[in-house]
Amino acid sequence: MPDPLPLNPPLPLNPPPPTEPPPPPDPPRRDRRALLGAAGLATAATVTAAGARPARAAPDPLTAWTLDTMTGLAVFVLPGPDAHSRAQGTPRPDPGGVEAGLPRFLVDALNRYLPVPVVTAYRRAALTALPAPPGAPASLAKDAVPLAPLVALLLNIQALRVDPRTVAGPLPTPFSRLSYAGKAAVFRLLEGPDPALVEALDAHLPEPLKRTASGLLRFLGGALLELAALGGLSEWGVFDPTTRRLTGRPVGWRLSGYVPAAEGRPEFRGYYQGRREVTG
Amino acid sequence: MTRDVIVVGAGGGGPVVAKELAARGLDVLLLEGGARHGDPRREWTHLENDANNPLTGFLRFGPPDRREPAWLREEPQNSFLLQAAGVGGTTLHYFGNSPRAYPGVFHGYDGADRAMYDTAHAFPFAYRDLVPYYRWVEATLPVQTAAMGVKETVFLSGAEKLGIPVQTAKDTTGWSYRPQENAILQPGGTAGRTGDPAELQHPRATGCTFCGYCLQGCMEPPGAPRNLYAKRSTDNSYVPMALTAAAWSPHGRDVTLLADAYVTRVHTGHRDGRLTATGVTWRTGATGETHREDARVVVLAGGATETPRLWLNSGLPNPNGWVGRGYTDHFLDGVTGLFDHDTGNSRGPNSAARCDFPGHGALENIGLPPAMQAYSMALSDSGIRGRYRNGRGFTGPWDGPTGRVIGPELKEVLAHGIDRLLNVLILTGDDVEAHNRVTQSVLPPDSHGPVPKVVFRSRERTRRTQANREFLARKATELLRRAGARRVYRFDWAPLLLHVHSTMRMGLSADDSVLDADARSRWIDHLYIADNSALANSLGGPNPTLTTQALATRTAEKIFARHFGGDPWVGHETPVPSTDPRVSAAL
Repeated sequence: MPDPLPLNPPLPLNPPPPTEPPPPPDPPRRDRRALLGAAGLATAATVTAAGARPARAAPDPLTAWTLDTMTGLAVFVLPGPDAHSRAQGTPRPDPGGVEAGLPRFLVDALNRYLPVPVVTAYRRAALTALPAPPGAPASLAKDAVPLAPLVALLLNIQALRVDPRTVAGPLPTPFSRLSYAGKAAVFRLLEGPDPALVEALDAHLPEPLKRTASGLLRFLGGALLELAALGGLSEWGVFDPTTRRLTGRPVGWRLSGYVPAAEGRPEFRGYYQGRREVTG
Repeated sequence: MTRDVIVVGAGGGGPVVAKELAARGLDVLLLEGGARHGDPRREWTHLENDANNPLTGFLRFGPPDRREPAWLREEPQNSFLLQAAGVGGTTLHYFGNSPRAYPGVFHGYDGADRAMYDTAHAFPFAYRDLVPYYRWVEATLPVQTAAMGVKETVFLSGAEKLGIPVQTAKDTTGWSYRPQENAILQPGGTAGRTGDPAELQHPRATGCTFCGYCLQGCMEPPGAPRNLYAKRSTDNSYVPMALTAAAWSPHGRDVTLLADAYVTRVHTGHRDGRLTATGVTWRTGATGETHREDARVVVLAGGATETPRLWLNSGLPNPNGWVGRGYTDHFLDGVTGLFDHDTGNSRGPNSAARCDFPGHGALENIGLPPAMQAYSMALSDSGIRGRYRNGRGFTGPWDGPTGRVIGPELKEVLAHGIDRLLNVLILTGDDVEAHNRVTQSVLPPDSHGPVPKVVFRSRERTRRTQANREFLARKATELLRRAGARRVYRFDWAPLLLHVHSTMRMGLSADDSVLDADARSRWIDHLYIADNSALANSLGGPNPTLTTQALATRTAEKIFARHFGGDPWVGHETPVPSTDPRVSAAL
């Protein structure tokens, strides 16, 4: 049985236009080691590099750290009743990104994005100090490099720039400790000032290098939010890939009152002005 | 072995050339880099992420084996390149919208509004020259006047109050509104009249069942032969005809179709002192093996991004530097209205009504299920509403500044009800600009060679392009308010590269075009292009697939006449519709 949520009260007519907050203060000076340490990554990386395994049934520190950061992102796009939504100051009673499985979706998506052949070619190029030759055969490995920890690192470093107080708090990662406004400030940096700074350099490079680095930041700033919206409102969290069936009603469907069709719907309303064909 | 013709790409345009030449009895090899999609009722679902996830969905741009990563493209800006691989290409997820182009974008147009169009990059022939090919394709697919669902009644109620007339002809000659002309079979029998799947089996149901899943690939009604599925994506229309040409054409010869066959190189040689295309090499994804075949004619149809990539990766000539340049995308934008009554947003064919404003572009309604709805509201170049504007955040008759709707506001909007939203898509008549382009990426190559870098300098578009988009955003807002919306959001989308054109454009001038007026390479004999990249411009705003297919039909005639001594057939013969029972029986 569907369990439709009560709709929100009617929206007010013509709400006042949102205002743009002042830019965040300049980040404090902080050396790289301290920054990584504050982001929690140094510890996680050490554990992983040493090959140590955490206690059974507990995720390794890097995975847990990454997942917590992605939880902070998930509730930024789709807040709910969870602790991360409360921490950012926008709890909502109805289910949100956490209930939709969005943190795991984001980790999964980012860890699929960059195919291993690309990385293999990078490694080969780095080893030979030469660019990979056009058309050179690449590795056929069926894998991709895990980008999620790198993106989490970026978000957490930006979080510390935006609000140094996120160095400590009840949640595990700086990005998750940010307020909603603080998270928005992170994306403002990712989309605008940071790539603009890089662009001052790479806009003057010849193709194919031109704006590649600054463009990557801009692409990332958009794609993270778009992917989160797509995944959070989709069926991903309740999709069983082995049976290709749903194990429950997706959060997005419950939230939006969406009713799926099996094969069709009684929706036909005739032809406009009774016209079934036109001339020409 | 030497084929008559090798066609590279089984998307919107390639199968048209393949089918037309197969009907003339030529030996045609059709190569597709993605999946075959041969049994959609076993392979597909109606689920959004399963279908449309750009990294894992069955309609993604990637190899058939979904365990493997999608194919990487470099986008050095906030943009989203929405490609689909496999037999059918992007028609797999298109809405079937099949308007003709605006006459103003063709050579020789002398209307009073001539200055409103990108005449510097006009098609190198007159509009009237293409009309017979439009008619041929419209009869073949077929294209039909769209039936209405609830969302069309709402959209059209707003359009009626814009002070523009209803259009009742195929040609668009002035500002107007109308139901779409769609490549979707009209509903028959129980279709559109019930939601009971037991009642919707073919042939009790024929044509569109109003399921609302155009975006996830069409496999309705259940039990129908492939060529009778409602939406006329090429996997349901031209490809079945190509594969069965011997059954329905007196001189026909079935096309050989190979999927999972990614073409990595176009070969050339010298004949009579002229550089000439001689064949292609492709890589089979499942095995990693490479194969080569030669042909008398090679036709490229991999799409507006992949065709210039293949050209550049093959080291083919680019003497004027226009290979990959002039990328147009309709500078799409989204405007969404909130209503206090049912809008039918998630139900029925995804777009069945439109307004045209020749000289500016077009509007159309688009119905979306929840994930794509949320995605469309999170895509913006204007930052996040209420937080930052990213240097933009336009204000206008819509409510508040442009920008992303995410977080608490996204939940608020969606909880208002997916079927109390109505979306209007803005299709801008955008100008050809050399700096918007495809080139080779600095990222290391994948298994098919250097990956493409798709560059859009969106904030530097021409004044006319930007003014057209603003004009249309205001018209969309007015339409929604007149239809009863009590709140209107405009998002100012970052480039959503969905309607993609003109990267290998044909043109009047050899200085800024790759192809001549016959879609033939200016620099390599026996080499043609038959996808959206061959279009001279963005058509002034109308959806491109029908025009690409009409042009591809014309190109097939040119190939047959020039290289095989044949006569033209369009205007001389009656087209066989792709729904022909002989096609069904032969499948």
